[in-house]
Amino acid sequence: MKYSIILIFCIGISVFSGQSLFAAVGCDLNDPDRDVARLFPGSTGYKTMYVAIDKKGGDALLAQIEDRLGDKFQGLFETADVPYTIYEIYRGTDRIGYIHGVNQKGQYGGIQVFLVMDMEGIIKSLYFQKLTSKAAKELRAPEFGKQFEGLSLADFYAYDIASGKTKIPGKVDQIKNPAPEAEQDFHASMRAAKKNLILMDEFIYGNKFLKYFKGEAQ
Amino acid sequence: MITIYKVSFKNLLRKRTRTLLTIFGIALSAWVLASLLGFNKGYEASLNKDIDNMGFQVLLTAKGCPYEAATLMLKGGTGLRYMSEDVIRQVVNEPEVDKVTPMLMQAVFDPNKGESGGFSAYLGVDPVTFPRMKSFLEFKQGGWFTRPDTMEVVMGYEAAELEQREVGDLLLIPEKEIELKVVGVLKRTGTQDDGTIFMPVKTVQNIFNKPGELTGLGIKVHKEADIAAFEEKLYGLPDVQVVSLAQVKQTIMSLVTTAKIMVFSIAIIAILIAMVGVINTILMSVFERFQEIGILKSIGAMPWDIFKLIWIETFILCFLGGIVGTGMAYGLSKLTEILIRNLLPYAPTGSLIQLDASLAGVTLIAVILIGFVSGIYPAWKAARIRPLESIRSEVN
Repeated sequence: MKYSIILIFCIGISVFSGQSLFAAVGCDLNDPDRDVARLFPGSTGYKTMYVAIDKKGGDALLAQIEDRLGDKFQGLFETADVPYTIYEIYRGTDRIGYIHGVNQKGQYGGIQVFLVMDMEGIIKSLYFQKLTSKAAKELRAPEFGKQFEGLSLADFYAYDIASGKTKIPGKVDQIKNPAPEAEQDFHASMRAAKKNLILMDEFIYGNKFLKYFKGEAQ
Repeated sequence: MITIYKVSFKNLLRKRTRTLLTIFGIALSAWVLASLLGFNKGYEASLNKDIDNMGFQVLLTAKGCPYEAATLMLKGGTGLRYMSEDVIRQVVNEPEVDKVTPMLMQAVFDPNKGESGGFSAYLGVDPVTFPRMKSFLEFKQGGWFTRPDTMEVVMGYEAAELEQREVGDLLLIPEKEIELKVVGVLKRTGTQDDGTIFMPVKTVQNIFNKPGELTGLGIKVHKEADIAAFEEKLYGLPDVQVVSLAQVKQTIMSLVTTAKIMVFSIAIIAILIAMVGVINTILMSVFERFQEIGILKSIGAMPWDIFKLIWIETFILCFLGGIVGTGMAYGLSKLTEILIRNLLPYAPTGSLIQLDASLAGVTLIAVILIGFVSGIYPAWKAARIRPLESIRSEVN
């Protein structure tokens, strides 16, 4: 009893006195009630989950994600303490999919790329919530987003972030840049989509796509 | 040698649970009291700091546009009113004025923000006077603008985080399709500066075609100046409106006073409950030792000795409760702060509860005094016990 009281007291002290005043900012839907209904037609509700790399697996997980991405997390804002907001979508009591967004550095400003996914990790749609780019109109056009539908992380592994090309021909090759003058923002969008899929595989899908990365499956 | 203090202490140990609960009750009262005293001190200090962090005490705006940011939100960037730069010359030579800094706020509609678009705001500031007035601003990366009319921006931390910008990156002004170079990212301040994109005022005037126009003039007055008299003087200027942060502070403080009265009332109730608890505990202890006290008196103890014995018990209870309560106030100050922040109509940034040794001392003395007052009746009751009566009651 005595030790329980001391333990509760110590936990209380550490929780309430050790809180950091400021934390990194994640990528949330501006109006989740409206956005979820619009992005996931037929849904009746959602639950919100917050996951951060530093809490989930620390440096080891960050290294694994960077390895799978084929690129390092960079700069002031792409850090392990960024909280990722995952919207778990329901129809009645059935879980029917997820919506998840990431921030990505673009040529002229921030890009927020949300992916709407089914329970198997297949992309149902792509949504740019924010896009500061000279080619914003073209990239936000429905035709561009449609090119991502039906793809999964298994397809995106072929996309090499460094070169902006696919290592082996595949479905991702079919995604065409609608504004060749905004090549940088196109590649930023592709990187954001790949990063988004990898994070979801780590956080939600139990690394079911890891075998494609390791070459155990085609 | 056994002392009266040891006897009192041992008496308390005979009913440990009751003693502990009484100490806990007193500790809760001491916690509330210390936290309130710390809040009294911390709130005003934090508010003053917030106002100091704005860099100026008086804001001059064009008439009809008192709150730029609010206007932008409500009218979508179209409701801004402007005043001429000439106002600087009219104000700067006043004896009360220490520094002035001109500002021009502008907003553009960004159709690619959210589902139906949003506004992006830019604050034009003077590259010479603004950094001097806001000397507390620190940079995470880079520094202020290199020239007065340069195409450069300095971003507040949150603005930079949203736009994922770092020093050397480009920033696009939507609608205008104009590129600017990021030369500085500020550290977090906890103020509105965190979400602001700063540009040289001349650059904003050029980009938005507002030559010689301003939306605000920040004025820092000398410390010894009579701000009220100075404000009256400013009202004499044509087509301007004066927003005094002294007035803002007064309004906030009057709002907070209401909350303070409410919390103080709760504290008084908590203290009264603790007092009743102490009286009850000691009185029960006296009744339980009715016979013992009678025997003590029959072997030579004087009423004053009995009074002291009981009074010291009260003192020990209150002293221990006061120590635990003050410790709780220190240890749980963050929790208390969260609770208070939820209660207040406006809470400034920074620590709302500032505890120090003098406040801890005041709390402890207050609790001990309350204890002494609470102990008078039980001690007096015990001192008046008649030996024969009490011994006879034991026989019965």
